[in-house]
Amino acid sequence: MIRVDNVTKVYNGDVVALRDASFDIPKGEFVFLVGASGSGKSTLLRLLNRQETPEKGDVWVAGKNINDLAGYKVPYLRRNIGNIFQDYKLLTNKTVFENVAFALEVIGKPKHVIRQQVPAILELVGLAGKQDRFPHQLSGGEQQRVSIARAFVNRPLILLADEPTGNLDPTTGEGIMRLLDRINKTGTTVVMATHDRTIVNMMRRRVIELDRGIIVRDQARGVYG
Amino acid sequence: MLSRIGYVLRETGASLRRNLTLTLATLLTVLVALSLVGLSILIQRGMSNQLVRWEGGVEISIFMNPTASADQIDKVRRDLEENQFVRRSTYVDKAGAAEEVRQLFPRTPEILEAVTEADLPTSFRVVPTSTDQTLVSTLVARFQRAPGVMAVYSANEVIDFLRNVSSYLNWALALAVVLGLGAVLLIWNTIRTAMFARRREIEVMKLVGATNWFIRWPFMLEGMILGFLGASLASAAMWGFNQLWKSRVIDEAARTNLFLDQLQATPAQVNATVLILLVVGTVAGAVASAIAATRFLDV
Repeated sequence: MIRVDNVTKVYNGDVVALRDASFDIPKGEFVFLVGASGSGKSTLLRLLNRQETPEKGDVWVAGKNINDLAGYKVPYLRRNIGNIFQDYKLLTNKTVFENVAFALEVIGKPKHVIRQQVPAILELVGLAGKQDRFPHQLSGGEQQRVSIARAFVNRPLILLADEPTGNLDPTTGEGIMRLLDRINKTGTTVVMATHDRTIVNMMRRRVIELDRGIIVRDQARGVYG
Repeated sequence: MLSRIGYVLRETGASLRRNLTLTLATLLTVLVALSLVGLSILIQRGMSNQLVRWEGGVEISIFMNPTASADQIDKVRRDLEENQFVRRSTYVDKAGAAEEVRQLFPRTPEILEAVTEADLPTSFRVVPTSTDQTLVSTLVARFQRAPGVMAVYSANEVIDFLRNVSSYLNWALALAVVLGLGAVLLIWNTIRTAMFARRREIEVMKLVGATNWFIRWPFMLEGMILGFLGASLASAAMWGFNQLWKSRVIDEAARTNLFLDQLQATPAQVNATVLILLVVGTVAGAVASAIAATRFLDV
């Protein structure tokens, strides 16, 4: 599903964010990216949905080398990749329903599809009955669930999560992880960057550890380290 | 598709309302710039219409003394016929002169009672072969000295004056171009501001895979609406000015029989100018906003 091949990413000509990184992620796998701040986790995620392009090496997603992708095709790549973030990136002037519907609306899905899919996904993430709330009326965990609903409503092949539990207390974080686990069990590949030792140790999934841009560990059923 | 159109219209409307002051400033600048363009075009059209009329009509009038003898009149007539620079000439006799006076002062027929036909000067209306100024001046000088001639008038100075004024209009057009540039920059800035206000939405749109065109459309439409609305206002202003000009100047001039009846644009020319303004306004708005949107999206 994802293949990273000798990828080097340099910012501003001298800041090496990633050096010679290589790994394969098969379809349906759940992978943690761990490492200190600035070790290159976020850069790796940004390379996977082509928010960045590498200086060297190739990134393959769903059988395509996305570095060669023409600019106008990038949106169609991104429709196969859901994104969630530490700060949720919800639109504060829209309700829960509108936030999720927005993701379908802007890729041209018709109204009747939106009316059907949005309540279904809100049910899945455990927000049934809260669709008319605004983000500020929700707890952090609920806001992250909205963001997951938005990322997953289009049933993407891949879900990229950048520290999704970073702003949440441990119990709420666990709830989010159970949700991501359920999504992973539907066959969606999940790549999650995290600092959260407890969660990594609890889940026992593949762990890729980065240290100053270099992959120092790639371990199946690993722990935080 | 319908939901897309709905989305675009909704977003555009919201954005125009959100930046009301900037929207108004932009509209006013577009209005002023395009009004200047429109008026310059109309005035130029009017002047050239009048010039065509004048240049094709009477150029020189030779007024004979009321007391001129038949021999003197005949001599002038023969000279005119033989002169190679005269295309044609007509003679207006005393009856014709009286008729002209009646036309000239339709509301004061008592003037004709004060003067008898015998007092009125007869005249020749002369069309020279060219409107070249030196040629016309030579002809004027020549017939001024002929016996029995009271006075010679030519429209040449007026025509030159009009041509002169006409060339100054290019300055007005240059000013309009500068203002137009200002309008384009304002539209550009309005769109940039609108996009900045919605940068979080744009970020989400890009992440979930909205195409750049989808993101760009509402902003381009906003720019086009600004340009189109400004051009519509400019067209209305221009049309109003044209009506005023016709009723206050042209019709008034016709009453006093100043020969200015063609110093106006024809309705077809007015329509064409409106079309030009609308197209220029809309295209400028679209281009300015497309550039702004593209620069913002590619960062």
